[in-house]
Amino acid sequence: MKITLYDYSLSGSCYKVRLMLGFLGLEYERRQVDFYPGRQHKTPGFLAINPLGQLPVLEDNGLVLRDAQAILCHLANKYDGDGTWLPRDPASFGPVMMWLMFAGGELMAASSARLHDVMSYDLDIEAARKSARSAFRVLDDHLTHREIDGGTWIMGDHPTVADLACFPYVALSGDGGIGHEEYPAIRNWLREFRKLPGFHAMSGISEYV
Amino acid sequence: MAPDQWNAVALDSQIRASSSNPVIVNDYALALWRSASGEVNAWEDRCPHRGMRLSLGFVEGEKLRCIYHGWGYGPDGQCKVIPAHPDLTPPKTICAQRHAVESRYGLIWTNLAEDPHARLPDLGADDGWEAVRSIFLNYAVQDARKAVMDDLVGWNGALSDGDVVTLELPDGTTLAAAFQPVDAGSTGVHFVARGPAVSAEGRHGLARQVVQLRARIENN
Repeated sequence: MKITLYDYSLSGSCYKVRLMLGFLGLEYERRQVDFYPGRQHKTPGFLAINPLGQLPVLEDNGLVLRDAQAILCHLANKYDGDGTWLPRDPASFGPVMMWLMFAGGELMAASSARLHDVMSYDLDIEAARKSARSAFRVLDDHLTHREIDGGTWIMGDHPTVADLACFPYVALSGDGGIGHEEYPAIRNWLREFRKLPGFHAMSGISEYV
Repeated sequence: MAPDQWNAVALDSQIRASSSNPVIVNDYALALWRSASGEVNAWEDRCPHRGMRLSLGFVEGEKLRCIYHGWGYGPDGQCKVIPAHPDLTPPKTICAQRHAVESRYGLIWTNLAEDPHARLPDLGADDGWEAVRSIFLNYAVQDARKAVMDDLVGWNGALSDGDVVTLELPDGTTLAAAFQPVDAGSTGVHFVARGPAVSAEGRHGLARQVVQLRARIENN
């Protein structure tokens, strides 16, 4: 078994895959891609690996996968024997998928805002922040109801790929000019996530809780 | 100079033990932190050392530690620990800026005045209040208050104006809305309730109604 991650240290999407690999205790090789300023992910060499020109990419025994959310599901499906990260029961599977798609969809506006502020991307920053705030509010509203039930995680009584997928760009949003002042339930959820055994930090996210 | 006035800044239940939280009130950034033993503190969100936001820090027992160089401050605001100089007793002059803070009616209140004399709003007995939820509206506080009042008029209940807006619901539950002026374009509204409807089920229902109120106000 050999796992290779095409990785960029400052990417939240790569970070979620590194977190998953860490939580599952998997050994892997990191292949650093110079995303910024080198734009190596848009070079012909990398486009041969991922025609979408995006990070991360995971190679697992010859299987080549792109899309952070797909990679999380692949790793949980193959290596998490207990199925805690990717619940299969009908009451949990759908909601976990729903929030996973949200992490790769609406929530990526927070990544856009950060790309603008940190890596000089040319985009409509006000539109990105507005969309990110709308998404944060949807998540905070959900977690507020979870708090009323005494719950901590997006779905069920333990963290799943949904929490993992949502965590990085919410935690890193200050880099894109989006504070956490208006999202008290999100703040509590982020703090609990950082307390998980096996959690590790990245640039911009503290491991001190 | 800050007015001698108490503002609700959070739901008590959402400021967890051993946490530091960013809160803005009247354009002023606070680190609202709770020690391991449960004491709440409202400090200027600025480490006296290098100006780092203390809301990004972490709580260790009864001390707030700055994330930048790990300087640790006790509840009196005094610096107690400088990790780079473990044998040094930090001088008294290194002190975080503290502000008056109270926990009452399920809410956390701050008063930024240097020498506060104003009294907290009186909502009767302190016991039995439960969190419903907080919302943030993109209005200055006077406009947010008016919008909330105008919406609550349409609810089934007896509405009372005051520092805190209250609504007596037909089942005897009191719903209270306390306002946090954030800045010229943002206001926090913190809802708590007391009475028969404060079961988990009742709070889910009230929280959903508050979300609908927010949607109606924003769509107006």
